[in-house]
Amino acid sequence: MNRLKTVGTSSKRVEGMDKLNGISMYPQDIFMQDELIGLTIRSEIAHANFKANYKKALKLDGVVDILTSKDVSKNEHGVLFKDHQVFCDGTVKRVGDPIALIIAENLEIAKEASKLVQIDYTDLPGVFSLEESLKNETIIHNETNVIAEIKIDKGQVDFDKCDFVVEETFEVPSVEHAFLQPEASIAYLEGERVVVVSSTQYPHWDQIEIAEAIGLDTSKVKVINATVGGAFGGREDITSQIHAAIGALKIKRPIKIIYSREESVLAHSKRHAMEMKMKMGANREGKLIALKGEILADTGAYASWAPNILRKACVHASGPYEIPNVYIEGKSLYTNNPFAGAMRGFGATQVAVAYEQLIDMLAEKMGISNYELRLRNVLKVGSKTATSQVMYNSVPIEKCLRIAEEELNKLRGNDKPNVLTGYGLALSIYGTGYGNGFPDVSNNVAKINEDGLIEISSGFTEVGQGAKTVMAQIASEVFNTDPSKIVINCENTDNTPDTGTAAASRQTYNTGNAVKKSCESLKDKILDYFVNKFELNNKIGIEIENEEVYLKTLPSKRMLFSELSNLCLSGEGTFTAQTTTLDDCGQGAPYWPYGFNALGVKVEIDPKSGHINVVDGVFVQDVGKAINPRQIEGQMDGGFVMGLGYALYEDLNIKNGHIINKKFSNYILPTSKDMPTLKKIIVEDPEETGPYGAKGIGESVTIPVAPAILNAIFDASGVRFTKLPVTPVEFMKKFGG
Amino acid sequence: MIINTTINGEKIEFDVSPNRRLIDFLREDLHLTGTKEGCSEGECGTCTVLLDGEAVDSCLVMAFQIDGKSVTTIEATDDDLSIIKETFLEEGAPQCGYCMPGMVLSAKGLLDKNKKPNRDDVKEAISGNLCRCTGYTLIEDAIIKSSEKLGDDNE
Repeated sequence: MNRLKTVGTSSKRVEGMDKLNGISMYPQDIFMQDELIGLTIRSEIAHANFKANYKKALKLDGVVDILTSKDVSKNEHGVLFKDHQVFCDGTVKRVGDPIALIIAENLEIAKEASKLVQIDYTDLPGVFSLEESLKNETIIHNETNVIAEIKIDKGQVDFDKCDFVVEETFEVPSVEHAFLQPEASIAYLEGERVVVVSSTQYPHWDQIEIAEAIGLDTSKVKVINATVGGAFGGREDITSQIHAAIGALKIKRPIKIIYSREESVLAHSKRHAMEMKMKMGANREGKLIALKGEILADTGAYASWAPNILRKACVHASGPYEIPNVYIEGKSLYTNNPFAGAMRGFGATQVAVAYEQLIDMLAEKMGISNYELRLRNVLKVGSKTATSQVMYNSVPIEKCLRIAEEELNKLRGNDKPNVLTGYGLALSIYGTGYGNGFPDVSNNVAKINEDGLIEISSGFTEVGQGAKTVMAQIASEVFNTDPSKIVINCENTDNTPDTGTAAASRQTYNTGNAVKKSCESLKDKILDYFVNKFELNNKIGIEIENEEVYLKTLPSKRMLFSELSNLCLSGEGTFTAQTTTLDDCGQGAPYWPYGFNALGVKVEIDPKSGHINVVDGVFVQDVGKAINPRQIEGQMDGGFVMGLGYALYEDLNIKNGHIINKKFSNYILPTSKDMPTLKKIIVEDPEETGPYGAKGIGESVTIPVAPAILNAIFDASGVRFTKLPVTPVEFMKKFGG
Repeated sequence: MIINTTINGEKIEFDVSPNRRLIDFLREDLHLTGTKEGCSEGECGTCTVLLDGEAVDSCLVMAFQIDGKSVTTIEATDDDLSIIKETFLEEGAPQCGYCMPGMVLSAKGLLDKNKKPNRDDVKEAISGNLCRCTGYTLIEDAIIKSSEKLGDDNE
């Protein structure tokens, strides 16, 4: 195999300088002639019937219109089930449900008008806990509050056959994505077509949802994805896009909607809160024998991806371990809480809080080290998961674990006086992609553009994860040029093929494969042309380099790509991941590939205040093959800090469906001062189906963080925390200060 | 009310209403949209600009308060700022980019005063700038590397 030239280098982020110069356009940065401002009226009650009166508001000078359910052609949307209404038409099911959109000449007028809107609510019984939801006394949609049930049933779970057993119930909360760019959209007309400029994870899906709601053919809707200021799953469910489109179509002026921070927190999904009742057993030899679990997930008022998230949670509940007997039952439930959907890890983050603490608890009970117990049970090549899926290649979890243990041991010692010091270890597993046999398709078209440069077209999204740079590196590797020479066309639904969503850690693997295939196909066509042009016998000994083609033995026979500009040469690449549907016992090959990691952390706790400080750490990440090592390090730091917030700080404080903490002054995110300088180690074990061996890591990097910190807290204090976040107050309550 | 101010080295006179925030003046009146709005309450630092060299949250400053003062935004063409930006790019600091203008300006504010900051100084200087993507480390690395480059230039 030829040595790789750009894949594997820390090539500079292709759109990075535009972001640093402040010229990258997020939708809120667009100003249009004659634009109007849209302001959403949202429910202030979690479950109620309502009557609204807009007369006074409409009379206010500068108010152009107020859009309601009457203005929607098909008043429903949703990524999986159409259970959201574009504007609620008489019943609200959560605080923050959209009721109407005030359209005014400016924001001040729109705000003034919002105070004149009269909404009379008639309260309906609210369901705010899993327990209440299960009773099915108040039904939120259709016939039952149970939106999904999943069972994983392998072998025979019998704890009598185990020498050591631990059990515990873990509770993880609903948390907020807190991407820094609040949602914004601007919609306008181009002839009979509606153009919606927004920040989304999936422009082609938005296009379909907008078209359905406004009653136009999909071809009449163009979505332009502006720069996306972070997403983490929170931009998968549509928010302002349909509202703006309806306004533009009705009023025939550009409609701009920009959410404030508080509205952003109200508008989009949250991470699923889960309750996980788990039991794990091992034999005397330190082999895990059985795992049993009941997982309940609160999806709030709308389904979003609830069944898929529940599936990912249940499949991953056994962690990166080979356990012969597993029985997991999961249910996802509607409540009148804020709706939950995709968030980095997609169910796999929640269950790691359980399985990685259970392993530590079991090791303690057995009197062996937590490292040793993990080592005896981690998946290897040939191992079978809880769904009986064979891990047939790229399973370097043992290597990750060994490195993490060695590096964590180097951090030991020098413990400060008067401070509780502890060390924690956690592993994780994450299966890429939509999964469960669903066609997980990526598409790309590669061509030579008019400037003689390679242009790749695919509707993938640069959410900040570095997809543009990764795709440019993959294409530049095929064409032996610099990544900066690759022209990327990914923002406009008119001239890109649908490549699926920027989610499920699937872009590097799926779209990366499609980009590579399309570029290889185009390369073949370029070589054919060259062979014909110079009347060569075959393609042997022809080099492509820096947008030029030449014969290596006679370099005077050469041709510039620009010569090919007018020939419309293009290559198409499609890649579909290989997964199967789970059977009734939850057996199958639901995801591929799987990514792994190991994390060791050192924490210091002030026993007087309960303040917990993560002071050091070592993060070992399996990547298959690193396309861009620096970007991977950036993901590892970023995943860590999100997990740190989950473990110690982030609390929406939801009371009767109301989010109390919806500002950054009370929803506490980690700052630079909370972040330790991690040692980051990348482990390469190329995945044979990945582009150059690469796997996605965007979600994987968040998963082991909270359990590693919780294990370290136990090591420091002797107190096991089963509920997040462990704030100083919560710590002192259990520590007994 | 009429204000006389200097924006990125250029003197301007402008009529602003007394309740106009600096961020709105920059973004809406001058269309300097490099300054971003993230929380509107001074918690996230995405709207950071330099006011007479001090990093401030432009959502908490009123436009009239810049009368007679000098404002630097991310659009400024300044050699030091260019070096900082280039170093941020080399170190892989940007991800989604929304916090970047504020981060770069907080970095500039720090490096103007402290030529050789250590890691803690850097953490302190950007502790008012939230970032949800990066975990801050590569940003901190970039600021420390920038200080080395700027130091070399001055010698």
